[in-house]
Amino acid sequence: MVDRLRLKGTDSWWMFLLLLPTLVGILLGTVGSLLASVAISFTNWNNVQPAQWVGWKNYIDSFTDPRFGDTLLNTLKFAGLYIPASIIAALTAALILNGHAKGRGFFRAAFFFPSLTSSVAVALVFSWIYSLDNGILNQILTFFGAPAVNWMGKENILFSVTIANVWGAVGEGMIIFLAALQAVPATYYEAARMEGAGKFHIFRRITFPLITPALFFQIVIVTVNALQAFEYIYMLTRRTQGESSMATVVYLIYRNGFRWFNMGLASAQAVLLAVVIILFMVAYFRVEKKLVVYDK
Amino acid sequence: MTNRTKSSWLNEVFFTLKTQVWVWVALVAGLVVTAGPFLWMVSTSFKFPAQQFDGSLLPWPITLNNYIRLFTSAPYLLAEVYNSLEVSVLSTVGQVLTCAMAGFAFSVFQFRGRNFLFGVLLLTLVIPPQVTLIPNFIIFSHLGLIGTKIPLWIVSFLGGAFGTFLLRQYFASIPFELAEAARMDGASLMRIFVRIYFPLSKPALSALAILTFTGSWNELIRPLVYLPSNQKLTTLTVGLSLYQAQYSGQWSFLMACAVISILPILLVFLVAQKQIIEGSALTGIK
Amino acid sequence: MKTRILFAVLVLGLLASCGEPAKKLGGSITVLNWGTETEGKVWNELAKEFTTKTGINVNIETAEWSVYWDKISTLYAANTPPEVFAMDAPLFRDWLSRDALQSLQPYIDKDPATVEGLYPASLKAYKTDTGYFGLPRDFQTIVLYYNKALFDKAGVKYPTADWTWEDLKAAAKKLTVTDAKGKVTQWGFSPDLYDIEGFMSSLVWSYGGEIVSPDFKKTVIADKLEPWKLLWSMVRDDKSIPSAEMATQYGSDLFVAGKSAMITSGHWSVPDYSQLPFAWDVVPMPKGPAGRATSVNSAGFVMAKKSANPDAGWAWIQFILSKDGQTKLAQLGFAIPARKEVAESQAFLGQSVKIDHKMFLDAIEYAHVKPGFKGYDAWSSAFGDAMTGIFDPTKKMEDVLGTAVTGADKALAAQK
Repeated sequence: MVDRLRLKGTDSWWMFLLLLPTLVGILLGTVGSLLASVAISFTNWNNVQPAQWVGWKNYIDSFTDPRFGDTLLNTLKFAGLYIPASIIAALTAALILNGHAKGRGFFRAAFFFPSLTSSVAVALVFSWIYSLDNGILNQILTFFGAPAVNWMGKENILFSVTIANVWGAVGEGMIIFLAALQAVPATYYEAARMEGAGKFHIFRRITFPLITPALFFQIVIVTVNALQAFEYIYMLTRRTQGESSMATVVYLIYRNGFRWFNMGLASAQAVLLAVVIILFMVAYFRVEKKLVVYDK
Repeated sequence: MTNRTKSSWLNEVFFTLKTQVWVWVALVAGLVVTAGPFLWMVSTSFKFPAQQFDGSLLPWPITLNNYIRLFTSAPYLLAEVYNSLEVSVLSTVGQVLTCAMAGFAFSVFQFRGRNFLFGVLLLTLVIPPQVTLIPNFIIFSHLGLIGTKIPLWIVSFLGGAFGTFLLRQYFASIPFELAEAARMDGASLMRIFVRIYFPLSKPALSALAILTFTGSWNELIRPLVYLPSNQKLTTLTVGLSLYQAQYSGQWSFLMACAVISILPILLVFLVAQKQIIEGSALTGIK
Repeated sequence: MKTRILFAVLVLGLLASCGEPAKKLGGSITVLNWGTETEGKVWNELAKEFTTKTGINVNIETAEWSVYWDKISTLYAANTPPEVFAMDAPLFRDWLSRDALQSLQPYIDKDPATVEGLYPASLKAYKTDTGYFGLPRDFQTIVLYYNKALFDKAGVKYPTADWTWEDLKAAAKKLTVTDAKGKVTQWGFSPDLYDIEGFMSSLVWSYGGEIVSPDFKKTVIADKLEPWKLLWSMVRDDKSIPSAEMATQYGSDLFVAGKSAMITSGHWSVPDYSQLPFAWDVVPMPKGPAGRATSVNSAGFVMAKKSANPDAGWAWIQFILSKDGQTKLAQLGFAIPARKEVAESQAFLGQSVKIDHKMFLDAIEYAHVKPGFKGYDAWSSAFGDAMTGIFDPTKKMEDVLGTAVTGADKALAAQK
């Protein structure tokens, strides 16, 4: 707890000024938009005609439309694959780099770089790599006698998109985990080694608990990213007519709102997605209280 | 040395050697996976269309045609790189300023409703961006700003929960005595902010800057909504997606486009590597 | 005398400076089209001619089909809808129902000659109870294109007007080339299996089937199974038709990439194909058991309801529909002009690309109009999406068609 100064004289006005942008942001940006989206979701507004109240119609339509169910399932399936894959990959990379000093700076930079690059550009490169007959992956596979894989086909697209997305995002997590690992005081390790603890034991009892804050933080971020993923899906699954072979809820919101004008339906689906994300967050914060260790 | 310690010492050495080998294998494998797509992208971009499917890493015959084409018959991409830069820089400036302002407001001074407001701000962290997409679009259309780049960066000037939280945590770690001393010297709120806290928070500011910049640079959905087809004004992300459809099948050209998109970031990274990596790490610690 | 001139100049100056009332003397309009860059250049030329003729400035934009409708939607949302924009006949009813279009009837009543001489079938799509809300500018019929070089290489005889679907299937099989590793390097036939216009509707019609029920409540396209059996055997047994993943590696049009021997398409492909390095030609659609059938579809222009300069927008439509505008359009070769006399003139028939353009016109005899109804976009999306199952060897034909029809029917039911 930090002491705080009191406001004197014109300070109040300045304080108000400092906070003004954020206040506007909350009113118009986040909270205001949430309320507005909820309001719009109860209408049938289509950009052209004045909006008319339709009650729960958009929500009912979404629940009875198998397409929405499919996209929700796709979103959850993707999240279910992407979150663990991304976290494990980042943690593994961080662990390896942490225990290995030679050339660490170089490898760290190399593994981090992909997460800085434009995901759209990366997705474009992956659509090339995943090409059925001529992509480099299948060329390598067939060279070794293995059958070519239809990476972009409906059976495999989920994995292909996940791989590409993990590739493009693992660097961020790795850096965070690495920093957390390096923040573990060396004295802990020394003490443990003196007591004859094995490497795995050290990891389980000391290292892992101490990085749970970073782990938690990263899981939250990755979950939000996963449920809202758009770039890779747009670039890798979109067909000429604009439909997606693996539509997620965000994609559907985009199509409903900005292709078929159905702002009401799109808003309803955005609200539903927000509810899903909030549910995840609530679950996570419940778990945090029990599992995350904070060093004091 | 007894026999026991000798053998356990040998065991230790072997174990370490084995792990060392595996570690190196893992690192090299990781490097191949990381660098592979980039190398392949660059390699393809220097090939003639006839060789684009040949599967060899070294382009032969080598050509600059694909890049020349970017300057001559498909010039939009370069304009789009500029547009992305413009939007990203403005977004970064906006976020850094307004989040620092709000972060400071929440950290050093006491005022009525401070905790409540901060709580509301934290709650907004849970609200996903899609929910703001449509209402923001409506507001901007009433303001007549549809068709310009302004909607893409102006929202950054309205603060942000994550950035504010980050800066507040960092401000809280600055010794309070500085503020107290300045106060006793008669310094006003703004003076304390501008002269003391803001300059001292460079690490957090640069962390936020990096995060905001890359987030804006990579973003696809909002540029797609506001500027779906104006190739002179839209960002790199939309431009690439349009090229993907327009020049479908012309992989060597498309790879050149991808290279051009990545080049600016690569240059910045090579120069400011350390700061960028350390800045990104900071966002996780707090 | 001098005062008279001065007076006239003053009045003209006043009129010009008023902006709104002086529409015929100037002002500007926004016109939107979909198309490729090549088509865009065509429209730019027409715009220049229009400006020279009428003094009205045209801000003409050509957007890629996949983002065209997003763009229109965005403009409406920004309350700056374009004066005129291109409309695809099947989507017309959707737009009409949104109350987004301006009625053209008052303009037509003042100037009936504008619509005289246009193909009646093309006009029908834009007619409502209260008159016309759009006018056709050109139309398309679908024919069969074939790559002569690939046929020569395989020693297969060129398609003729007597061909049946079995002939097509047999030729496609012979023209599908697989390399030593089992990879297909050339396909016999690469039709669009997403939207019905490219191939599927013609196939179904030629077997005596229909697409939707007359009241637009039910999807009947899969009621007859024979046409689908033919398609399935080509995809599953002969492997002569590529899937989207196979095709997109080579670009958006496999025929252009020289990787498919045949494709069904409309006249819109002619300008692009004229650049191809190999010889190609066209024949009418092959015959089915119930005769020959093809799809006819028109593109037209509509005016947005609350645009800034509607009178000038009408001037553009008149220009495009005039003999002059239609002739220019015809010469540029993308579509069949909606004005009969121009379609039957040398402007269309004697184009620079030396193929039988008359065949496209004659196709009207046996063409069915592409269905246009409220919800077409969602309907065709649902159908096309499910149709991708044809390439999944684990899915049975009945299941794929079943899913497609169910999804399509749901889209129909969702319309008020």
